[in-house]
Amino acid sequence: MSSNTPSSSAAAAAGSADPSAARRNSKRPKYSKFTQQELPACKPILTPGWVISTFLIISVIFIPLGVISLFASQDVVEIVDRYDTECIPPSDRANKVAYIQGAANKSCNRTLTVPKEMKQPIYVYYQLENFYQNHRRYVKSRSDSQLRSVKDENQIDACKPEDDFGGQPIVPCGLIAWSLFNDTYTLSRKNQPLAVNKKGIAWKSDKEHKFGKNVFPKNFQKGNITGGARLNPKIPLSEQEDLIVWMRTAALPTFRKLYGKIESDLHKGDTIEVNLQNNYNTYSFSGKKKLVLSTTSWLGGKNDFLGIAYLTVGGICFVLALAFTVMYLVKPRRLGDPTYLSWNRIPGGR
Amino acid sequence: MVRPGELSVDSSTNHLRTPSRTVTLGRIQPQAPTYRTVYCNDRDSNYLVRLKCLHGNSISTTKYNVFTFLPKGLFEQFRRIANIYFLGISCLSMTPISPVNPITNVAPLSMVLLVSLIKEAFEDWKRFQNDMSINNSTVEVLQDQLWVPIPWRKLQVGDIIKIKKDGFFPADLLFLSSINPDGICYVETANLDGETNLKIRKALERTWDYLTPEKASEFNGEIQCEQPNNSLYTFTGNLIVEKQTLPLSPDQLLLRGCSLRNTEYIVGAVIFTGHETKVMMNAMNAPSKRSTLEKKLDKLIITIFCALVIMCLIGAIGCAIVTDRDHFYLGLHKKDCEYRNGLTYYLLVPQIAFFTFFTLVILFSTIIPISLYVSIEMIKFIQSTQFINRDLHMYHVETNTPASARTSNLNEELGQVEYIFSDKTGTHTRNLMEFFKCSIGGISYGCGITEIERGIAQRDGLKIHEEQRSTGAIREKGFNFDDPRLMRGGWRNEPNPNLCKEFFRCLAICHTVLPEGDESPEKIVYQAASPDEAALVTAAKNFGFFFYRRTPTMVSVRESHTEQMGKIQDVSYEILNVLEFNSTRKRQSVVCRYPDGRLVLYCKGADTVIFERLASGMDDVRKVTGEHLEHFGSSGLRTLCLAYKDLNPEAYDSWNERFIEAKSALRDREKKLDEVAELIEKDLILIGSTAIEDKLQEGVPTCIETLSRAGVKIWVLTGDKMETAINIAYACNLINNEMKQFIISSETNAIKEAEERGNQVEIERVIKEEVKKELKKSLEEAQQYLRTVGGPKLALVIDGKCLMYALDPALRITLLSLSLNCTSVVCCRVSPLQKAQVTSLVRKGAKKITLSIGDGANDVSMIQAAHVGVGISGMEGMQAVMASDFAIAQFRFLTDLLLVHGRWSYLRICKVVMYFFYKNLTFTLTQFWFTFRTGFSGQRFYDDWFQSLYNVFFTALPVIVLGLFEKDVSASLSKRYPELYREGIRNSFFKWRVVAVWASSAVYQSLVCYLFVTASAFDGKNSSGKTFGLWDVSTMVFTCLVIAVNLRILLMSNSITRWHHITVGGSILAWLVFAFVYCGIMTPRDRNENVYFVIYVLMSTFYFYFTLLLVPVVALLADFIYQGVERWFLPYDYQIVQEIHRHEPDSSNADQLEIANELTPEEARSYAISQLPREISKHTGFAFDSPGYESFFASQLGIYAPQKAWDVARRASMRSRPKAPKKN
Repeated sequence: MSSNTPSSSAAAAAGSADPSAARRNSKRPKYSKFTQQELPACKPILTPGWVISTFLIISVIFIPLGVISLFASQDVVEIVDRYDTECIPPSDRANKVAYIQGAANKSCNRTLTVPKEMKQPIYVYYQLENFYQNHRRYVKSRSDSQLRSVKDENQIDACKPEDDFGGQPIVPCGLIAWSLFNDTYTLSRKNQPLAVNKKGIAWKSDKEHKFGKNVFPKNFQKGNITGGARLNPKIPLSEQEDLIVWMRTAALPTFRKLYGKIESDLHKGDTIEVNLQNNYNTYSFSGKKKLVLSTTSWLGGKNDFLGIAYLTVGGICFVLALAFTVMYLVKPRRLGDPTYLSWNRIPGGR
Repeated sequence: MVRPGELSVDSSTNHLRTPSRTVTLGRIQPQAPTYRTVYCNDRDSNYLVRLKCLHGNSISTTKYNVFTFLPKGLFEQFRRIANIYFLGISCLSMTPISPVNPITNVAPLSMVLLVSLIKEAFEDWKRFQNDMSINNSTVEVLQDQLWVPIPWRKLQVGDIIKIKKDGFFPADLLFLSSINPDGICYVETANLDGETNLKIRKALERTWDYLTPEKASEFNGEIQCEQPNNSLYTFTGNLIVEKQTLPLSPDQLLLRGCSLRNTEYIVGAVIFTGHETKVMMNAMNAPSKRSTLEKKLDKLIITIFCALVIMCLIGAIGCAIVTDRDHFYLGLHKKDCEYRNGLTYYLLVPQIAFFTFFTLVILFSTIIPISLYVSIEMIKFIQSTQFINRDLHMYHVETNTPASARTSNLNEELGQVEYIFSDKTGTHTRNLMEFFKCSIGGISYGCGITEIERGIAQRDGLKIHEEQRSTGAIREKGFNFDDPRLMRGGWRNEPNPNLCKEFFRCLAICHTVLPEGDESPEKIVYQAASPDEAALVTAAKNFGFFFYRRTPTMVSVRESHTEQMGKIQDVSYEILNVLEFNSTRKRQSVVCRYPDGRLVLYCKGADTVIFERLASGMDDVRKVTGEHLEHFGSSGLRTLCLAYKDLNPEAYDSWNERFIEAKSALRDREKKLDEVAELIEKDLILIGSTAIEDKLQEGVPTCIETLSRAGVKIWVLTGDKMETAINIAYACNLINNEMKQFIISSETNAIKEAEERGNQVEIERVIKEEVKKELKKSLEEAQQYLRTVGGPKLALVIDGKCLMYALDPALRITLLSLSLNCTSVVCCRVSPLQKAQVTSLVRKGAKKITLSIGDGANDVSMIQAAHVGVGISGMEGMQAVMASDFAIAQFRFLTDLLLVHGRWSYLRICKVVMYFFYKNLTFTLTQFWFTFRTGFSGQRFYDDWFQSLYNVFFTALPVIVLGLFEKDVSASLSKRYPELYREGIRNSFFKWRVVAVWASSAVYQSLVCYLFVTASAFDGKNSSGKTFGLWDVSTMVFTCLVIAVNLRILLMSNSITRWHHITVGGSILAWLVFAFVYCGIMTPRDRNENVYFVIYVLMSTFYFYFTLLLVPVVALLADFIYQGVERWFLPYDYQIVQEIHRHEPDSSNADQLEIANELTPEEARSYAISQLPREISKHTGFAFDSPGYESFFASQLGIYAPQKAWDVARRASMRSRPKAPKKN
């Protein structure tokens, strides 16, 4: 019951009783722009003018950006060589998995031709396809705390099934580290070895903060099966840049990872001999392996997508602007034409 | 009623009892379950009673206390299906199959719960404070022969307390004594039943003396009464004083919640305290209504849930197909690993699919917007408390009443109302009766134009000048009469001054009004059962016959100008008999004796009954008066005929004996009284007639016109006579002469004949047949009209009796289809129950959204039956308001409530819901697309915290701002173009089509965000050739998503305030700041450092900025094009209106339409009258049409009137009415 208090009831019942008990406390709501819903506001109306000019503005901005980024991408020279099949002796191609798991010599020679002048630094990538580095089981199979500090080396809960070896924790544990890529490339030009610098290929933040300086590999790759590369137990994890790169798991099943840098220019028509150790097993799941040599522009590696997208969108906007203008001229609608109001269009409509 | 038989009474003091049933333990009796004993003035003896009512007189209306708050509050929260869903998801996410950290689901859920709990706690705290202020108000209690003020809560059963004038009764009291010598007091029960007239309570004569503290402390009565119950109108018990057993009745009971009026002070004994009081026993929470939109929202949620299941099924099947043990690096191969916990290892494909399904359910759980309900609740809460309650347009100055939304559940329902069911009295009309005209001895007096006439004239484009009032014309509440021929004693020069004198005396004597306050003409306040009565007495006062005092036997009138001009004398008339009013008699008479011994019967009543009883030879006057009555009636005035008769003392005496005999009859008392009255109420001499204006509420016709332009159909459901109702309907522009009217009345000849034959079964059959025939005929006709283009609009008028049969299941469909075709419907003579039935007929039968508006207790059932109940506050009592969802002071405020607040709320809530749907779908879909590229493993795309904060932090505020400030057109334009409201009725903004548009927008945007970012993220992404990992890409996508989704708000807003900018900018900024902080810190052990430094890595590349510009623009481009095209080719009405007024500032109040023609008052009046419906203007509606009158009169005489239909309905409604102890 709302009105048990004398005060409130007196006011509530006052409609009848005595008006002279003049409500000193008026219930008149106080004015404020907020409560009266009169806050100043701008009311954008998408008039054709606005629509057309928006399209024009977008196209004016996007087309140059598209051109710029396309140019940037075009500047990049990229050599891609798929070697997963080629590097298996033809006799073994019927059973690639057996070959790769076997003990035979896995070395393989590839020759690459430089199509254009390549300014240093030239980056060497390996590209894997159909490799689910983003699989749920895979992504979570690591222990960040273990990688970071020695005292957390027993934090291996997430690492199953590559968590321990005979009761001893594996460092680095988990499927990611276990399946570390282990193909190696040795490059030479005109029989001169071409140095591949493997330092500085990982993001600095990973190197400095995620991988400990005093964490050393332990019990690594000692299980029945070797998943991939072995690590030198003398070198701390923070210096194992291949591992660091590998452990920044890729977003999609097709990915490139930085292998190293060539710090000299390559000239047009140069042939580069690659001696590679084809160790890594992508054959059991038919994954492709590619070796990539690429320069970079200020925007990054070769990727036309951004440029094309910008250009397309800019172009579409321009076309739309034209289309709307034509529409505006062909079938004009007077702004605020009352005949468009539904109740004017359908007479007597209820 | 007193039913002492139900009580078994204590043996030691009473001889009537059956001794075997009670065991005596000293003075204290074990409490039999059927009754309780209260010992007055003896706290110790009442401990048994007190044991049952632990809290004494303190009340608590809080839902929780400190200990129950958490469990109970949480329980309340988990009654919501959405919360249960998220609880389930949270539990699932603790299991190993979860792809996400439990925090992802627990954090938003706890956030939502926290907000809801805080809200609950806040509301409960307010209730608690209210309770405390009530519990601590003071009352004077008798202690040691002194009145000592103590707080209410300390009051105990049996205490003797003193209540002063205008004080509230703190508990249910037994009325012992009053300062009034005859042991009566006046009580106002407005808080209980909404009736503002005063009720009389009478103490038992035996207890009259216990008034002074000394005397009262001697009182040691023992009250035996029923156990506490919730029936407000019954009470049985006995008072045992000094071995005398006195029966108690409701007459001696003063209920908590009522207040004392007109009496200096009274003394009472406490019987029931606190929660045992009848008013508290009646307290019940309002059954909460849910809006239609929310119910539709449930459907949407179910659809989303189905979509979720489908997505998960796709994922599960995909996983079953894709999962390939040859991916050795996933550790799935049997030969390779014999691991203990490799969960997937031992699983067969179907099992993998099964587990993946649940993994994906957790992963995609964000598709159901967790914060949706709490956001909507917050928005609605602010809408109702800040916007509706504080709207100055809906503040009524005269009654000092702002609008009040009593529930915040139904705001958007107001934007979709299609049918309004309205009460007439007090809603359309002010229930403010003003004496307006009269006719005395065949001469009509009074100049003035009724509001009804004026209203009609105005709508036809004529303007009436405010008529010149003669200087010094008196205008007060209840009196709006001006004619120099009668005023200021002018009547003495009229052709028939004696008849005038009788006229005035009849007005001053023949009534049941109670004067209150100072006995001076200016200050006196008349308390009357019906406002007509008060108006008549006020009129008498202004004519110089000032009624100023009533005792049970006398009426005192201060008469002026009677003997000579200016002379004043006080005359007391002895009231010998009152022949009460009832609906069969339609008249009321008083037999009074002048001081000089003259015996006169004054009678007033409906013209028909008075004319039948006139003495012969009055045909001329009767004819002229009849014409006047007709004229009055057509102007919308309520009329009464006055007559008198001089009585012969002998004849009177013999009649009086029969009267007393009839009065004390035990059986058929009422019938006998009627018969006896019939004997004396004959051969009357006609004095004349009065005409009272039942004033229309301000702005009603305009409001109705606006609403009907808005596509709302208004039905008037009234208890009035058909003629009165039709008249008001005309005046309100509900019906006009261009309309085709279907009238289904029970007053046809066939029915009348049957009624005269008197066979009940026969009558029923005939009426049924008639109604059926009429309905069928009308329906056919209506359909014919509808087929013709531009045919007339249709109106249906039906009376209660016919409605009773028409509501029969067999005819219901016909009635419904007929009435739905009609633009306006008037139901007259309907009972409250029928009002509710009609409302549910439309609500359930036609599935339309209904709104009921009313002001009185008889509207409660209707208000509760409709989707939205609106009560008129500020005038009458609280009953309708208590049952309502919204309370406004004036009918015309409906325009603001519906067209402005309702429409906006609807628009806003629709947009908010759609936006929530969109933003969660977009978010989840990016995740879904990603799943395709992870071998359906259920890998999460986003970091746990990103995902959990997406809903509650990064996208939460703009949508609330949207829900608060969005408006398509300004308030004044909303009212100027009421047709815009139809978009709500058609539900244009919450259709599946709209959902589909939003869904495709979400699909598109998620694809753009996902594909564009991933496609361009391949390859080295800075000039040093380093590549991005999963978390870099996902953070990138997330950033684009947050920006796009937040900017989408601006794109969908019609009105962008600075709050939009602040919150949109703030949300994006919040994300960035969060990203900087979160990515910048390393925490020990508690999380995977997936996103460590990611944002900095991203920001070190140009690529990041290029994408950031590209992706949101492309994502929003499609919506932009869609909106541009839609506006251009298929504009909504509101968009056209926006365009029309695009150059006007917001606050322009351009909604005053000038009226072209102007007429002089005389022309206007004649024009108005000519516009009135001639063919049905025969009615001369008489004034005692207000319910409540009979029972008032009866209680005056100490008689309890038998329960009337409306009484029963009200009682029924009392049980379910909300007593939610909300205070302003």
